[in-house]
Amino acid sequence: MITDQTIFLVTGTLLVFIGIASVSISKNLIKTLMSFQVVVFGVNLTLFASGLGGADRALSDAFVLLSILVGASVEAVGLAVIVAVHRKYGTLNPDEIRRLRG
Amino acid sequence: MANEILAAGLAAALVLTAVAALGAKKVSTSLIMLFYSSVVLGVTFTLYNDALIGLVHMATFAGAVSVLLLTVILMTGESNLAIGGRRIALVLAGVTVLVVLASISTITSGGPALAPSQSQDISLQVLGFVWNYRPWDLLALIMVFASSMVAVVSLLSKERP
Repeated sequence: MITDQTIFLVTGTLLVFIGIASVSISKNLIKTLMSFQVVVFGVNLTLFASGLGGADRALSDAFVLLSILVGASVEAVGLAVIVAVHRKYGTLNPDEIRRLRG
Repeated sequence: MANEILAAGLAAALVLTAVAALGAKKVSTSLIMLFYSSVVLGVTFTLYNDALIGLVHMATFAGAVSVLLLTVILMTGESNLAIGGRRIALVLAGVTVLVVLASISTITSGGPALAPSQSQDISLQVLGFVWNYRPWDLLALIMVFASSMVAVVSLLSKERP
């Protein structure tokens, strides 16, 4: 029997894998950060689904809140790094940056 | 059975918007799709009786992080600013879908309770009012977010001199 909890667990895992795959093939640092955001969405959904239908709903809610705040903080720092990299190298392509570094 | 169909629909919307965001060629299109993805996830949390997590999620990712991403995209000049009528139609279609989702949330939550608060404390009355009307609050929030995204698209569609 497929329940909504199963559907969300599978979707969350799928989002994590899609995000990781996109991080590895991305040619733009902004897209890489967006892929990281999709990974965070997947983690949040999985944590949320793990608390569905059980007695530990408050615990999963606490973990989701923590994950949201950590994810947003990491994104903010990542965006600051992107701006710094763009100022120094003038491009956001990781291959180009590697070539310019020599 | 209805719960499973709703969950499957939300999951499909989530995966489709995420794949569209990561697969789009233009960064501005990715940003719009990512915005919708975060709103769909917020609506999912809210529909499953977790309004607080849903609102925090939407305020953080659809609000703050989207604006940060937009700022960086504009600062680095990575966006291809030509956005045609087809994309604006896509955004409007997304807004319609979100409003329908929020309406479903309103219906499943049973609508607002109209009983007045018995407390004399004004802060408790205000809190009770907000809590009773939270489905409508969500609807208003989604409309505000969606209209801000339409405004962003409109700003991006202006060509640079």
